[in-house]
Amino acid sequence: MAFVVIGIATIVFFVTRVIPADPIGAILGPQAPPEVVDRIRREYGFDKPVYQQYIDFIVNLLRGDLGRSISTNRPVLEDIKERLPATFELATASLLIALLIGIPVGIISAIRKDSSLDHMLRIVSLFGISMPVFWLGLILLLVFYYTLGILPGPGRLDPYVQEPPRITGLITIDSLISGNMAAFINALLHLILPASVLGYLSSAYIARITRASILETLKQDHVRFARSKGLPWREIVVRHIIRPSLIPIVTVIGLVYGSLLEGAVLTETIFAWPGLGSYLTRAMVFMDYNAIVGGVIVIALIYSIVNLVVDIIYVYLDPRIKYG
Amino acid sequence: MVASGSQGRRISTPWILSIVLLILLLSSWVYFLFSMRQTQQYSLATQPDTLVIAQDISDAVSMDPAVAYEFTSVLVVNQVYDKLVDIEPPDLTRIVPEVAESWSVSPDGTLWTFKIRQGIKFANGDPLDAKAVEYSLRRVITLSKTPAWLLQQFIAKPEDIVATDSYTVTIKLKEKVAPDLFLSVLAFTTSAIVNPKEVEAHASGNDMGSTWLTDHSAGSGPYILAKWDRNSQIVLKANPNYWRGKPAIDTIIIKHVPEPATQRLLLEKGDVDIAFGLTIDLIDQIKDKPGIRVISYPVLKLEYIGMNVNNKYLSDERVITAIKYAIDYDGIIKDILRGGAMKVQTIIPYPLLGFNPSTPFYRDINKAKQLLTEAGYANGFEIELAYPAGAHPQEEIAQKIQKDLGDVGIRVVLRPMAASEMYQRYRQQALQMVLAAWGSDYPDPDNNAKAFGNYRIKQLAWRNMWYDNISADLVERAFRESDRAAREALYKQLTEYILQHGPYVVLYQIVKHVAMRTWVENFVPDPSFGTYLHLYKVYKEAVVSR
Repeated sequence: MAFVVIGIATIVFFVTRVIPADPIGAILGPQAPPEVVDRIRREYGFDKPVYQQYIDFIVNLLRGDLGRSISTNRPVLEDIKERLPATFELATASLLIALLIGIPVGIISAIRKDSSLDHMLRIVSLFGISMPVFWLGLILLLVFYYTLGILPGPGRLDPYVQEPPRITGLITIDSLISGNMAAFINALLHLILPASVLGYLSSAYIARITRASILETLKQDHVRFARSKGLPWREIVVRHIIRPSLIPIVTVIGLVYGSLLEGAVLTETIFAWPGLGSYLTRAMVFMDYNAIVGGVIVIALIYSIVNLVVDIIYVYLDPRIKYG
Repeated sequence: MVASGSQGRRISTPWILSIVLLILLLSSWVYFLFSMRQTQQYSLATQPDTLVIAQDISDAVSMDPAVAYEFTSVLVVNQVYDKLVDIEPPDLTRIVPEVAESWSVSPDGTLWTFKIRQGIKFANGDPLDAKAVEYSLRRVITLSKTPAWLLQQFIAKPEDIVATDSYTVTIKLKEKVAPDLFLSVLAFTTSAIVNPKEVEAHASGNDMGSTWLTDHSAGSGPYILAKWDRNSQIVLKANPNYWRGKPAIDTIIIKHVPEPATQRLLLEKGDVDIAFGLTIDLIDQIKDKPGIRVISYPVLKLEYIGMNVNNKYLSDERVITAIKYAIDYDGIIKDILRGGAMKVQTIIPYPLLGFNPSTPFYRDINKAKQLLTEAGYANGFEIELAYPAGAHPQEEIAQKIQKDLGDVGIRVVLRPMAASEMYQRYRQQALQMVLAAWGSDYPDPDNNAKAFGNYRIKQLAWRNMWYDNISADLVERAFRESDRAAREALYKQLTEYILQHGPYVVLYQIVKHVAMRTWVENFVPDPSFGTYLHLYKVYKEAVVSR
């Protein structure tokens, strides 16, 4: 995993350096006098030759230092630590919603293949794949926050709610730990809309793969055999169809979770959610070298961990899979 | 198929049961939400002592006056600190006393003496005296962070700022400068006065407390920085020791709402009092709604086209004049910006001293073609125009300019670039034509005059390789002129000269819009991007329940 991370970091490091851009000039804007631009460039070490910058970068990386962000003037690690919990909370809630919708929809449409229910569910999930996040997010805010007034507006917590002390950074968990139920409910309500948007969009992928995977299993001999033995249909579905179909589904769930954890810039923007997506987008706009490389390293780590977990689940799901 | 037939029907009962269960669950959840509705309706914006502002605060880097240089941080610093002098919008040309109750300048114009108002206390109760002023201004120069150049352009070294007694400070300048110019820089947040004791108590290494001041305040202004959750909110609390009296609004919450459409929903719902980031489309949609007031005001920012006169074609002044006549200014302002701009063609924005309302250029294709023919380019030529990629409205304006210049035979090749790349190439004098904006850091005409007019300081004139000594000399004379009327006359001369000969097409001055609830009173917008926004004067009329 360390090699993957260092490899990716190296590639991104050199890509950012090759692009003909001046992050310091972009941050300081057109007004800054040239002496100031040069001085700040020296402060960040961007005046050194690229190989020297790379050596410094690797040495710092091994020490766990991702450098200082140019646009926030803080250590990149601090910035990411601050934003990752918000993204993690939203991604996890979104994944739960995606699973709650995606898996049942996939199973139902596979078992009822070509029925009107199947067509209806497939149309709904097609909407999920093709719907612009931006539009859906605003419509949900308009309906549930503005018109009906049953859900709170953007943000993670209403300003009048006492914020729980920061332990994990996940407001829902922190408020439970500190026994602050008002904050817990408020944070949960704030999660509903953004998590529904992301969850619905992601559910479409899960539903499609679930359907395809189950249809594949339905054709297998063991299913026909189980039916011919006269086993109850429900038992066949649960024990002989769903479980063997789970491997591709788990793979997709891993990918969906990974991409949710990268942050979702549009959803974050609409719901004023302080996550990783808007941080990385801003970093890219300003060519904030250290923040881009740091962010990519974190995303690479996330994907590696999610893949590892997916691999472990494989072993549990299919006893034939063994890792040496 | 497997899933059809009698078996499928046999399991239908549990399916139906689970669907019924799901519906029950969902409806109980919706019922729960509706029952919560009452508590949801509690909104801070409707509290008379709380002001909630929706703004994109992602630009803020530090709330230390010696570091703050972005819109959000400058706005905050101005609420939590006092400066020697201040500026009261909407009149940006008049300097008013703040911590300094009076000042004088030596006959040679280089030694300034400020008398400090007695009785001012910092928020923690410590007295504000001349030593604090000396410490704060020296600190900016010693730390030498991004905005330090504002003071460094006039003051050579920290020791030139001296507290001569408890309530007198003298500042020695490198050279004589126009009084309004120097004072306008002292009115900027970089010159804010910090509490030396508190700052030094939190210093680590030789940072002079800068790390701590990033998200704390140690000022004497109307508010205290109570909390800054990055990318979430900034909370300001009234300073009970404020020397002008405790402000009417006790708590100001600047909520991070990056999306304009979301800002609009929050404002209309009454969950925020003021929305700073609404686009012109959204402004059009809400401006007539009951309970909403929109204020539009030009800000100190000009959108212009810079032309590098080192280019073979652009080195001929007739070509530049032809371009000035080829552009459809009214079309850009009316169709693309729809009220988001004011027609200005000179380099000093309204309402600064020296603003020149002259707009002699209009679209005249025949005149433009004739000028091109005289210059020997009857068949036109090809030229590149750089602009920030994906930026609105720059993208549309660039396309419009491509079309306008195309009509007179100039084939414009559009070169969208990331801002980071564009500024780098601009600084290297490597662009042919560029569509860019210039915002004034401090409300004195010198800021724009030297950028556009004086190549010697290596800003816009230099980047466009316009090494014009007449213009540069005028800028330097006005820089030193202490008589206000004479200075104004010099700027008149300079703006006319650049209008006719400069390698710039000033397209317009940007107009901003701020939307607020009608219960917000005494809000005076600041053309200087919030640098001189005085939120302590704002109050709310008793709010009727919605």
